[in-house]
Amino acid sequence: MRKSLQALESRVRKKISPDVSLREWHSSIVLEGTVSSWDELYTAGKMCANQGYKGVVNKLKVKNFDVPKIKKPQLYDQALQGKRVDVLIIGGGIIGCAIARELSKWQLSILLVDKEDDVAMHASSRNDGMIHPGIEPKIGSKKALFNVKGNEMYTRVAQELDVKIIRCGSSVLFDNRWLNLAKPVLSIRAQKMGVKEVTLLSREEALKIEPNIGIPIAGAVHFATTGIISPYKMTVAYAENAVQNGAEVSLNTIVLSMQKEHNRITSVETNRGTVYPRLVINAAGVFADMIADMAGDQFFSIHPRKGEIIFLDKKKGELINGVIGKPSLSLAKSNTKGGGVVKTVEGNILIGPDAYEQPFREDFSTHMDHIEVLMKKHMPLVKGLSPADVINYCAGIRAATYEEDFIIERSEYVANLVYAAGIQSPGLASAPAIAEEIEKLACQALQEIMEVKPNANWNPIRKSIPELSKMDFITRSRIIKENPHYGEIVCRCEGVSKGEIIDAIHSPIPALTVDAIKRRVRPGMGRCQGGFCLPAVMKIINEETGLPMTAITKKGNNSYLVVEETKQTHRPGGESHE
Amino acid sequence: MSNYDVIVLGGGPAGLAAALAASDNGMNTLIIERERRLGGILKQCIHDGFGLVRFKEKLTGPEYAQRFIEQVQARNISVLMNTYVIQVGKNGAGFELTMVNRQNGVEKMGAKALILATGCRERTAKQVFINGTRPAGVYTAGTAQHLVNLEGYLPGKKCVILGSGDIGLIMARRLTLEGAQVLGVYEAKSTPSGLSRNIVQCLHDFHIPLHLSTTITRVFGDDRVEAVEIAKVDENMLPIKGTEQIIECDTVILSVGLIPENEIAEMLGIKIDAATKGPVVDQNFMTSVAGVFSCGNSLHVNDLVDYVSESGEIAGDSAAQYVRENLSRELVDIQIDNQDFLYVVPQHININTSNKKVILYFRSREVRENMRVTIRSGDNILFSRKYVILRPPEMERVPLELKGDLISSRPIEITMEPVKDKGVAL
Amino acid sequence: MKNLICIECPIGCSLQAEKTGEQWDIKGNRCRKGEQFAINELTDPRRSVCSTVRTIYKEVPRLPVRTNGEVPLQAIFEVMEQINAVTLDHPVHIGEIIIENVSNTGINVVATSDLYCLLEAN
Repeated sequence: MRKSLQALESRVRKKISPDVSLREWHSSIVLEGTVSSWDELYTAGKMCANQGYKGVVNKLKVKNFDVPKIKKPQLYDQALQGKRVDVLIIGGGIIGCAIARELSKWQLSILLVDKEDDVAMHASSRNDGMIHPGIEPKIGSKKALFNVKGNEMYTRVAQELDVKIIRCGSSVLFDNRWLNLAKPVLSIRAQKMGVKEVTLLSREEALKIEPNIGIPIAGAVHFATTGIISPYKMTVAYAENAVQNGAEVSLNTIVLSMQKEHNRITSVETNRGTVYPRLVINAAGVFADMIADMAGDQFFSIHPRKGEIIFLDKKKGELINGVIGKPSLSLAKSNTKGGGVVKTVEGNILIGPDAYEQPFREDFSTHMDHIEVLMKKHMPLVKGLSPADVINYCAGIRAATYEEDFIIERSEYVANLVYAAGIQSPGLASAPAIAEEIEKLACQALQEIMEVKPNANWNPIRKSIPELSKMDFITRSRIIKENPHYGEIVCRCEGVSKGEIIDAIHSPIPALTVDAIKRRVRPGMGRCQGGFCLPAVMKIINEETGLPMTAITKKGNNSYLVVEETKQTHRPGGESHE
Repeated sequence: MSNYDVIVLGGGPAGLAAALAASDNGMNTLIIERERRLGGILKQCIHDGFGLVRFKEKLTGPEYAQRFIEQVQARNISVLMNTYVIQVGKNGAGFELTMVNRQNGVEKMGAKALILATGCRERTAKQVFINGTRPAGVYTAGTAQHLVNLEGYLPGKKCVILGSGDIGLIMARRLTLEGAQVLGVYEAKSTPSGLSRNIVQCLHDFHIPLHLSTTITRVFGDDRVEAVEIAKVDENMLPIKGTEQIIECDTVILSVGLIPENEIAEMLGIKIDAATKGPVVDQNFMTSVAGVFSCGNSLHVNDLVDYVSESGEIAGDSAAQYVRENLSRELVDIQIDNQDFLYVVPQHININTSNKKVILYFRSREVRENMRVTIRSGDNILFSRKYVILRPPEMERVPLELKGDLISSRPIEITMEPVKDKGVAL
Repeated sequence: MKNLICIECPIGCSLQAEKTGEQWDIKGNRCRKGEQFAINELTDPRRSVCSTVRTIYKEVPRLPVRTNGEVPLQAIFEVMEQINAVTLDHPVHIGEIIIENVSNTGINVVATSDLYCLLEAN
């Protein structure tokens, strides 16, 4: 039932600020005006969500505060000038890359662009890798639908793309208070949502699965379909398979503006020239609303919700077998994920994430007080974890809409625009299903203007770079005999060979920075965090690409690692100091 | 499968000394080294100050290493370079090692005794809870040293250094000499961690300020470091709110501690001392697994390479003795008060041995002046000495002769008490 | 009055030095070495300089060197300038002189590693 706009407006004015006005546009509510804090901005938007309107477009401004402009790549050239493509996918996260791979099934020219130096640079490499069972989203939501479907699809897709997935299962721990509530609620829910293999465990049964649970429990709910995967490896795999099947990926490419004629996008301007796409797919993550705005079609707003994650030493990995969590206050209404303890495919333990609203879309800085709260909240769940086990922490930003659900649809007003937007958790779990749905919608839209024929040469099988450290000795020896580079260990914390690093450099989405190589084959992810192997990795990049050491970066743009050769100037010594 | 009497893991100063001792005792010895050249970390320690105790000379790292490398070559001790051990396990009375390299792929070798000389790694930014962004330009001191001294590149132009340990101090000087500006060295403790010699020659000489009781809490900068936030810390080394300051810089060098590398030791189920992070050993440097010996920085972090070599020699001699006659051990615990001592190595004494000479190494927990350190077994005083000053960064070495009746049920105690009268020089 | 730390041994006595006429009066030292150290340090402070020189070899771009003795503290940067100006174009053995009488100090700069061995290993 739709709430009256006037009523909403007076409610917002009363609760937040009189300086706010609401209007309707294309069935969405648009908020305009000024408020005094980001909290107020967010709360105002939240108040207008799910009130019977299509979406919430939050154009409120915060007094004395300007949201930073989007970070642009330094690159500027005409490499894409005049390019005509059937499909332009904006965004190289797991969603965009998965879409590119599914669409490569068809004889279409596909161009995927991302403003960062590599794929998976935002949320897709900053999450816990959990393939959720699908029990948590609101019943009937798109999240629920795509999560369950995606979860089911993962085994097949991961196998096709040669990415390791472990169906480790998750245990949600209950104390006495919750146990009686849990039983009926969860079984009904599971049935309604199509979540299979949900079992209620007694305390003893729970301890059998997770012997190191560190808090008193009355029982647990176990979801056997929960899986874990490396989210950035999956993204890279999707992208590589797309490229192998004919798609093109252009990194360091930012969309600056769009031109429309009647109700169709005719051209898209980037820092590398103007592209002419038949169809545009908006998979732009935290910037999806800005892309929508460029097409004159912004019917939603993204409010960036940040989360921090902690990584623990692999040595403690043996303490847990899957995912362990505690229930949030209400499974139905909580948006802030409770977080938990996850064992990654590599054997590290991951703690978190937390969730908090803040205005910055690409601020990945971590904060000690958040890290401390996370440690305090989650470490007790497992016996034997302590701050001394921490080897790393990072942050990610969720692309959340005010409706807190996925936007998977064709634009109502722009004929050649398709949305895969507002993808926050369970985005990773949902990705395969979202991609297939977008594939369907895209082909539908394209068929209105051209013939869409299948790609007879489509090959869903993609081989990953061999992981020597995981092989049996006979196979490993054989591969080394064929290519001795595989026998030279460069990263000894993770056992990564020179051969694997060279493979990453020459892969279909070439990894030319230290971080890109790290994401693909892991040097620098171990306990010494690259202390020993960084100079060696840099030298290999230099040998393989000719890039001088001073041009090699950590993550593109200005992230150079060394300033200059020593002995450039004959006069050493710095200036006088404070 | 090749078999050796003694296999030494690591070709740095500890491993080289161990291999020489084992070989001189008639053992068929092999050194396995993961890098291209022998010498370990000494290859990049181009500064001098090494060998004052052992050679009475002030050598650079490479020169010190060369003294041992020459001898290894002269005695024709087998060396496998560019080889990485991926697995170790017991094999009957001995051990089986699985290793990988370019030439032979994966191969196995056997040894009757193993000497672990695997050195240590550096503590990272995240391990000392530095928050903020993750730009390029944050280096541990060893990595920066490698880049400057071996590759010939300057990691940055405007540096701040966290940690006043020797490595941080050495890099403060090195970076300055090579044209960078070192804005300051920050140390969370209230006293400097490095040797006085280095405070003078690396900081005072170059007017680089040392800020005690101060730490780095955050890093700023998206692509590259742009600034850091420093803060004063309290007695528990926790940042004090309100004391934060922003310092503009483009490089952060971390010298916040070394951690012994004992992955191989853990594969063998060797007992590790939580205080040293190295294996628990007896005076022959044998670990809790018979036939496995530990020496050098992987046993406990040393300050002087001379003692590293000494520990290697002891391990090498002991490994040879073990191969010749594997006697059972009778272990006496060495007890210390954790309030006074950080650790003592060895952690036990084997009294079923003909070798009555024991060398103990210990570190005081805090800076203490005028203390008497006593080592006793019951009423039997084995050692007593006055120390004018004891500092955690300066490890003490105590040569001991085991005399009198030692029984395994009575632990050896090491204590320290304040001296009433002012002590005379050592 | 000058304050300095003695570095002759690990104790690191805090010394106070006062000059009256041509005489130095040193206090705070626990042994004679400290007194001599302070006087030297105040009248003619010297240091060894350890660095690297550039080479023409891609596999071994730098060779470690040091001064074969101590040079005046004030001359450190001048000595560094001389060291930085060198580009080694032939292999050398450990101990070989790279720069003779650097900056007129009477001290030579010598190689501390064997470039023949380094080139072979790489």
